[in-house]
Amino acid sequence: MWPKVVSGFGYWDIYVWLIFLAIACFFTMWLRNTGRQDYKEGTYQDEIYFSGNDVPEDGEDISVPADSAYWGFTKFFRPYYDFMALFHNGLAQDYLGYFVVFIAILTALIVFI
Amino acid sequence: MMKLEKYLEVLPKSLWVFACNSGSCNGCDIEIVATISPRYDIERLGMKLVGTPKHADILLVTGPVTRFMKEKLERIYAQIPDPKAVMVIGNCGCSGDVFYKSYNLVGPVDNVIPVDVYVHGCPPRPEAIIEGAAKAVLKLEEKKKALMLEQSDFAKAGAE
Repeated sequence: MWPKVVSGFGYWDIYVWLIFLAIACFFTMWLRNTGRQDYKEGTYQDEIYFSGNDVPEDGEDISVPADSAYWGFTKFFRPYYDFMALFHNGLAQDYLGYFVVFIAILTALIVFI
Repeated sequence: MMKLEKYLEVLPKSLWVFACNSGSCNGCDIEIVATISPRYDIERLGMKLVGTPKHADILLVTGPVTRFMKEKLERIYAQIPDPKAVMVIGNCGCSGDVFYKSYNLVGPVDNVIPVDVYVHGCPPRPEAIIEGAAKAVLKLEEKKKALMLEQSDFAKAGAE
């Protein structure tokens, strides 16, 4: 019914795939079946354990972003960032001006040093 | 509990324990750690501390219950599946001890949740905690039988 596909890197056979799926489903259901089934539905036993606290509806309220790991780094460089942010006023004309000035400085360095 | 295990007369597995500090000075918690570490090593019997009450059979509570911890302790107790037992470790949790009349306490643990085993001491020695665990096993077996009876009665009532 379905042709065997030979790719040059082994073969892909729909029957093998279906057998694998059936075996995987069997083991998944068996593992699931070994879990506890005597918990009480609709009680606290249904909820996740959150150190005994109320489970927050919105995880954003209590999440710590990954960049918080670098808080010391960002705090140390805060004056530098603040200074650099002054240059970012959103005007392309100014950016082009910085570009021209820096090219002039670099050219001077290359030519005279 | 798995399907076949519930028909066993005895407890089908070693105790898995969830420890909750409800206001302890940490002295009892250190003794609990001593109990599971190599000198006493109850982990060799399969007992271990677990990270969530949903996997636990026993709730260990240390310290008197502070107002802040009352609700949390109740929730943790409610999240342990039946049959479950509660062990209180240390004088503070058993009776309040020197903190009995403190303004910030709800009281001893049995003011908040039902307690099955009291282990006295300040802090109790690991031997005492192990004896308490052995008593908790007996309590759990009793509760398991009661639970099975209750379920079979319920099933009979449903069939009728």
